[in-house]
Amino acid sequence: MQTSSSFPIAISNTETIPGKQIVEFYGVVTGNTVRAKHIGRDIMAGLKNIVGGELVGYTELLQDSRQEATERMIEQARSMGANAVVNVRFATSSISQGAAELFAYGTAVKVT
Amino acid sequence: MDSDTYQAINLFLNFGWPLLLLMTAYFIGTVIERNHFRRIRQREEEYSSLPVVTFDTMPDDWQAGESTLVTGSIVVSLDYFKRVIAGLRGIVGGRVKTYEPLLDRARREAVLRMIEDARAQGFDGIYNVRLETSRLANSRGDGQGTAGVEMLAYGTAVKMASRFAPRMERF
Amino acid sequence: MKHVPRQPREGINVSDTHPLVEAGTLFIGLTAIFVGIALLLIFLIEVVLYFVPADKEAALFRDWLPDDLMTVSPADERLYATQSLVDELARQWPDSPYEFRVEIDASEVANAMALPGGLIIVTEGLLQQVESQNELAFVLGHELGHFRNRDHLRALGRGIALSLFFTVTSGSDVSGLGIKVSDLALRGFSRKQELAADSFGLDVVNAQYGHVSEAWRLFERWDTEDGTLLDIATYTSTHPQPDDRIGKLEQLALERGWSVDGEVTELGW
Repeated sequence: MQTSSSFPIAISNTETIPGKQIVEFYGVVTGNTVRAKHIGRDIMAGLKNIVGGELVGYTELLQDSRQEATERMIEQARSMGANAVVNVRFATSSISQGAAELFAYGTAVKVT
Repeated sequence: MDSDTYQAINLFLNFGWPLLLLMTAYFIGTVIERNHFRRIRQREEEYSSLPVVTFDTMPDDWQAGESTLVTGSIVVSLDYFKRVIAGLRGIVGGRVKTYEPLLDRARREAVLRMIEDARAQGFDGIYNVRLETSRLANSRGDGQGTAGVEMLAYGTAVKMASRFAPRMERF
Repeated sequence: MKHVPRQPREGINVSDTHPLVEAGTLFIGLTAIFVGIALLLIFLIEVVLYFVPADKEAALFRDWLPDDLMTVSPADERLYATQSLVDELARQWPDSPYEFRVEIDASEVANAMALPGGLIIVTEGLLQQVESQNELAFVLGHELGHFRNRDHLRALGRGIALSLFFTVTSGSDVSGLGIKVSDLALRGFSRKQELAADSFGLDVVNAQYGHVSEAWRLFERWDTEDGTLLDIATYTSTHPQPDDRIGKLEQLALERGWSVDGEVTELGW
């Protein structure tokens, strides 16, 4: 069972990794983070709500969160000995007024 | 009543009482959490033989007979301690680490309940599993408070023609 | 493909920081920030006060009345009596840029406030509780002391700062706690102002009557009586009390050689 932490893992949101075959599947893996925005971003957002446009602060925040959630999912897959995660889906939801949960889930498989 | 007693009462009401609530919430919450995780791990071990996947087409070798939608859900509440910490985080930003174990066990519990639903009806595998989270708002305060968080897991459960279906060789 | 049951490693979706450690760090960090901001606000208020001298303030707020003031109507003899008392006492401060105005607030809770522009508000409750002119004179003299030190503007600034704080951090359960902490910090500062106002008030009373007899009798009554907890609570929320106000007043009188015996003047109503 591979346990190296830098073992590359393929991810895809389709049934299979293009060009490869799945030989074994292990189960559902998930990764999630809960992030809160800070006062600064809140104030900027308040201002932007007046003039409109992209909330760059929030975009970055959620991108970072998504990145982290995906990494955790991959970490789970690695610890199972998988080398790919397929059928990946993302979900965002608000947990409380300031905090949003991002999670990614998929099936950990072994491909060749 | 003299000012010393008054001051003491004032101090207690403003600082002592919230602190007491916080600590109680923390300690009881930790015990509940530990027990829950133990039960979750136990059941995950037990049900590990039932395949659960997120593929949206069924693996060929499952040769399904009957199938149905199965669901599992749980609503968890955010205890006082966690809410307070999250509130503080809302000012400085960053990862709200206190919510993570709560959501982790909620999700795993929802998936386990879905599996139990399938097993109770005699199914052998679940595919196209989806997970949803939603927040239930408080009815007071313009719905700004959070009464709880619901985790939902659902998928299509199938009865396989044979549990020991041969693995198909592919090239 | 074959199903091989495997479990992921435990704890990937959870951080290793112990929640109490995280709580402690957040609490201490934020308290420090709040207190720092409170001190900064104190400093800023001082700057503003420097640039708005008393006579400009008096001119600006000359006819101003707060929106939520509910006056006792019809204007009665107590208003005239209190106003003339204030005018007499103000003669002890000849350089004052203010034309002091008195208004009576209908609230049953005893209180007295110094507001911008030389406005002094006493409540119905207070007027019902005072039993001699000397007591009222000390309360008014205390407010005059606040005007002299421009404390009323500081209190206003503090109120604005706290409500700003509240709007910025609202939505979190602990903004209340943070506000209380910073309020405490600001209040500690105010105790000095209260003592200074007390000292001036006593000075004025002595100059007016030749003695300070009965000047703080009102507080002695509050100290011993159990009732009117709400009065005390309200009064002490806007007038942070030094621990032993009466003792300090007695000491002041002793130091300055003021007599605590003397004929007590009746209220004019």
